[in-house]
Amino acid sequence: MVIDLKRCTSCHSCTVACKAEHHTPPGVFWAKVVRLESGKYPTVVRQALPLLCMNCKEPECEKVCPTGATKKRPDGIVIVDSKQCVGCRYCAVACPYGARNFSSDWTDYFTGEKKPSSEFAAHSKKKWMKESDKGVVSKCNFCVDRVEKGLKPACVNACPTEARTFGDLDDPESEVSQLIKKRRGMQLHPEYGTDASVYYLPAR
Amino acid sequence: MESSSTSSGSVLQFEDFKSGPRAQTEWGFGGKRKWRDGWLLMAMFLGGIGAGQFVVSTWFFHSVTSAVVGVAIVAVGKTVAHLLYLGQPSRFYRLFLKPRTSWISRGLIFMIVFVAFAAAYLAPDIGFSWVPWTTGSSLGQALWLGAILSASLVMVYDGFVLASCKSITSWNTALMPPLFFTYAIAGGVAMTYLTVTAAGKKILSEGDMTTLDAILLTTMFALVVIYIVNMAASTATARESLRRLVGTRLAVAFIGLAIVAGLLVPLVIAYYRELAVEGTVASVLLAASCILELAGDLSIRHSILSAGLHTPVFSEGL
Repeated sequence: MVIDLKRCTSCHSCTVACKAEHHTPPGVFWAKVVRLESGKYPTVVRQALPLLCMNCKEPECEKVCPTGATKKRPDGIVIVDSKQCVGCRYCAVACPYGARNFSSDWTDYFTGEKKPSSEFAAHSKKKWMKESDKGVVSKCNFCVDRVEKGLKPACVNACPTEARTFGDLDDPESEVSQLIKKRRGMQLHPEYGTDASVYYLPAR
Repeated sequence: MESSSTSSGSVLQFEDFKSGPRAQTEWGFGGKRKWRDGWLLMAMFLGGIGAGQFVVSTWFFHSVTSAVVGVAIVAVGKTVAHLLYLGQPSRFYRLFLKPRTSWISRGLIFMIVFVAFAAAYLAPDIGFSWVPWTTGSSLGQALWLGAILSASLVMVYDGFVLASCKSITSWNTALMPPLFFTYAIAGGVAMTYLTVTAAGKKILSEGDMTTLDAILLTTMFALVVIYIVNMAASTATARESLRRLVGTRLAVAFIGLAIVAGLLVPLVIAYYRELAVEGTVASVLLAASCILELAGDLSIRHSILSAGLHTPVFSEGL
């Protein structure tokens, strides 16, 4: 995935689209946007930075996971098998990008209780408990179900400024590869050797 | 989403959206599940002092009672603490599956091996006289060596778990394993003394024990000073960790309990006892010193976990 920081307006559409797609409970953010202010007057810069799992080629989370619940698929997407996770959270501590979320139990967004307050909440709970679980770690999986159907991940689909581009990094002719090449795309924390699969195009 | 709130849940959520260094909120008291996350800290503490107690009891003071207590602390205390911490405790057996790359898997295997060797070594002395070895026989000594080696690994692996987290600069240092190891041995000395005293017996070589304790306390103090200097000279995130350790409420645990009460006071008592005091006063002072050392051990582990900050995910170049 490539994210153009020049285009991101910090509207949080990606965050909401992700929540709508995966029905993540309160406190669980697979996609989020953080804001940074830097510089000194009169050259202050405010920058939005969308964050999600970097689906690294050398994932720290996969190395430290003691159960084998975190796996890297042949297509490079890193997934968590929630039925194998024990909730030790070593992965969440070892991930340099803060991409992993632990949810001790499902709670309703409006009442904060374990009992769903509406039909939609009941549907959300059912979907979440089936796809993830309580007491385990979860994270962005590039909407693997959508990608397998030939669709774009929900955050890419929802971005109103088209700041996000999804594609095959191994194909040098793909749009993502071309963007990285032409606009000098960069990874976050390359010094950790994780070889992240999310690249950022500089804002300036 | 960026505004902080007074409710602790929202504060933790705010941590996820911070642009600067982010506190790790997974391990230790005050994490996402408040008190329950503290069980991991307790597991680290119990593993350290239990394995340390076995080593000190069998190597230096030859106390079977104390050695059995040490093994029980690891086998029962550490195991229960781990199970209480896990999000899905019924799948605990899966924790052993990836020793090739995961320090948690390795550590738990060390723990099983230690309990097996230590129980086998102690068996003839705790009523299983039918076993074909005694503690003094060659086989018994081989079992003891295996128990000592695996106990050392149990004491040290927590340090490797923390040191393997690359983005938490205050943990990602080679000092972590020796620091945890030394604290575990010192905790073992304290537990041995308290156990033997509680059993109504007397340690025959109290002087040797005080000397050993003084050496350990001096080493621990040196390691803590190096750890602080190392953080001060490291990245901005490590310096922020240090600021939390010495300039926030955490200073009560780090400076007050871990350094002053857990290191300096026992060190003074150790030297004072060696120079002047004899008899009952010395024994009471030694017991007080042991309790303070254990409190300091728990406190320094708590402080290190709580001061763990992730390096910001981006730099100003973006």
